Amino acid sequence: MRKLIAIWIAKLSAIAGRLVGKNSSAGPGTIALKICPDLIERLQANIKGKVIAVCGTNGKTTTNNLIYSALKKSGYSVLCNNLGANMLSGVATAFALRCNWLGNFKADFACFEIDEASAPKVFRHIKPDYIVVTNLFRDQLDRYGEIEHTVELIKNAIQIADKPVLVLNGDDPISASFGISYDNAVYFGIGEAVLPQSTEVKEGRFCTVCGEEQKYNFIHYGQLGDYYCPNCNNKRPNIDFEAKNVDLSDGISFSVLDEKIQLNYRGFYNIYNVLAVYSLLKAMNIEIKSFSTTLQEYKPQTGRMEEFNIGKKVILNLAKNPAGFNQAIATVLQDPRKKDIIFAINDKPGDGLDVSWLWDVDFDKILHSGLNTVSLSGIRRYDLALRFKYDEIPFSAVSEDMRMLIENCLRTDAEVCYILVNYTALFSTKDILSDIEKQKGIGEKND
Amino acid sequence: MTDYKINILHIYPDLLNLYGDKGNIACLKKRLEWRGIAAEVRECTAQNPNIDFENTDIIFIGGGSDRETEIVRCALLEKKDDFIKFVEDGGTVIALCSGYELLGKAIQMNDEKKEGLGVLDICTHIPSDNSRLIGNIVIDCGDIAGKVVGFENHSGRIDIGSHTPLGKAEKGFGNDGKSGFEGVLYKNVLASYLHGPLFPKNPMLCDYVLKKTLIHKYSDFTELAPLDDETEDMARNHMLSVLL
Repeated sequence: MRKLIAIWIAKLSAIAGRLVGKNSSAGPGTIALKICPDLIERLQANIKGKVIAVCGTNGKTTTNNLIYSALKKSGYSVLCNNLGANMLSGVATAFALRCNWLGNFKADFACFEIDEASAPKVFRHIKPDYIVVTNLFRDQLDRYGEIEHTVELIKNAIQIADKPVLVLNGDDPISASFGISYDNAVYFGIGEAVLPQSTEVKEGRFCTVCGEEQKYNFIHYGQLGDYYCPNCNNKRPNIDFEAKNVDLSDGISFSVLDEKIQLNYRGFYNIYNVLAVYSLLKAMNIEIKSFSTTLQEYKPQTGRMEEFNIGKKVILNLAKNPAGFNQAIATVLQDPRKKDIIFAINDKPGDGLDVSWLWDVDFDKILHSGLNTVSLSGIRRYDLALRFKYDEIPFSAVSEDMRMLIENCLRTDAEVCYILVNYTALFSTKDILSDIEKQKGIGEKND
Repeated sequence: MTDYKINILHIYPDLLNLYGDKGNIACLKKRLEWRGIAAEVRECTAQNPNIDFENTDIIFIGGGSDRETEIVRCALLEKKDDFIKFVEDGGTVIALCSGYELLGKAIQMNDEKKEGLGVLDICTHIPSDNSRLIGNIVIDCGDIAGKVVGFENHSGRIDIGSHTPLGKAEKGFGNDGKSGFEGVLYKNVLASYLHGPLFPKNPMLCDYVLKKTLIHKYSDFTELAPLDDETEDMARNHMLSVLL
């Protein structure tokens, strides 16, 4: 009965939330768990097949949503927390809302994106059979302490999960370290140098086994690449699913195990997201039907190089840590068009309160990308202004009024406008863009 | 252009650069150059660990993770005597975050006591639960720099003994979360838990260090020329208005 009440109240609170226009994907689960703390355990039997968890600093939402789409496309029913919330409450929400009013549902598989810090807690309720680790970069240090701490959390979570199959990014020494002396791990990676080689590796440059500085045959970005330790011989593991023949000239294409994969969205890092999904499905022995159609049809979620056409192409991208930001800038650089760029940085709890990392982003690179104007927004816009002063990047406006900044950009003679924002600035910016899109739509009809 | 020149040595930027410490180096360098004073930045790294104390005016030590700080601690211990001499002779040292802890006599965690550089008569104590003091912080540095804003994230608690603190914590934890004080000023040493890009947003603190360094090196030096700090002030004042 407790279980049913919990489900009902969760469902009702979701409906009430929608009525008042508040779409919280964590709230219903929080309430449900208060009423029935073992709700997730009690509902697990509804999942016939395996449970998948996706962890990692960057790319876990894209990876998890792609897993969901690929399984769906192959005809399976899948329970997923693709509404967004990736802590225990978000998982509980996914379970509760999937139930009918009798408290049952049917699913072949479950896939969950799990916040690193929440992983041990979540896995005490539901033990995944597969854990995908996309990468581990420095992110929100004020929340997690140091990256070593995050590594400990995930190690702990893997133990709690009780012998899951690990699907690891073999190019990332930190992610790959979970597979050392573990007998059930598969690895994905990119098997050739693609991007210009940078010598700047920040976190994770040190051998996870002996602490010596690692060397690289080639580097992709951050600490990702073909690494080896000159001291203890720890090195990039044998890669089971390796991307080769990578071509970034038109979208992204590469081959893996003789299959050719073509993506129509940008961003080198998306190779990893797709590889993670591919490797997982192979490891699960799931016949992947129409994988390329899944990839073609996949619409990146909010703010992953999301395009808006509002009289001019505006591209919104989330970038919430140095690795993410440098990757976003690298993607902007691949676009030769004349462009305006708006940056917005907030410091709400969802973003991390500490914006020190702005000094680790190589903003000056944008000076070489057909740059027209730069505008700065978000709660910490003055920190951005100061950062840009030091990189001698001229900016034309500093304002908290994102709408005005966007409208200004629509009036310039640049061909495209990029908006790079961190987490909480993403949704407000997206709302503004959708709103302008709607207005423009109405305007055209009236004409 | 003046004839003055300041040599800055960034200690192990390859290891201790956890939170954008390079912002501080950029600030020291630019605020000299904007005034027509030459500045040269050199690095002491794992590959090239030599420290030319003779030809260095400012030594900067930033913050790193526990593991990386430990590598630096071991490497610097070999130069302990030279380091102490450098400070006692009036050389400038800026040590932030875990770099601050390294300057002390010891770092103690449970039964383990690690030797520090002994530049300052302070001790770091790390609680056994490893709890961290994390958040925005405002310290009042009085005449030397007014109100300074930053971010702290440390598990160590430092007892500064009879040393002069850098400032009074008006918001945040400071040295140990209890005393109400933050950092240490000793001779030309500035040590603080305020990590990462401390100087860019607090240029008066950077200028305080630069002025002391220039006076120490050049007997005819008197005053730094004023700079346009409008952007700096806006960034700092925004945080002050939010935090106080």
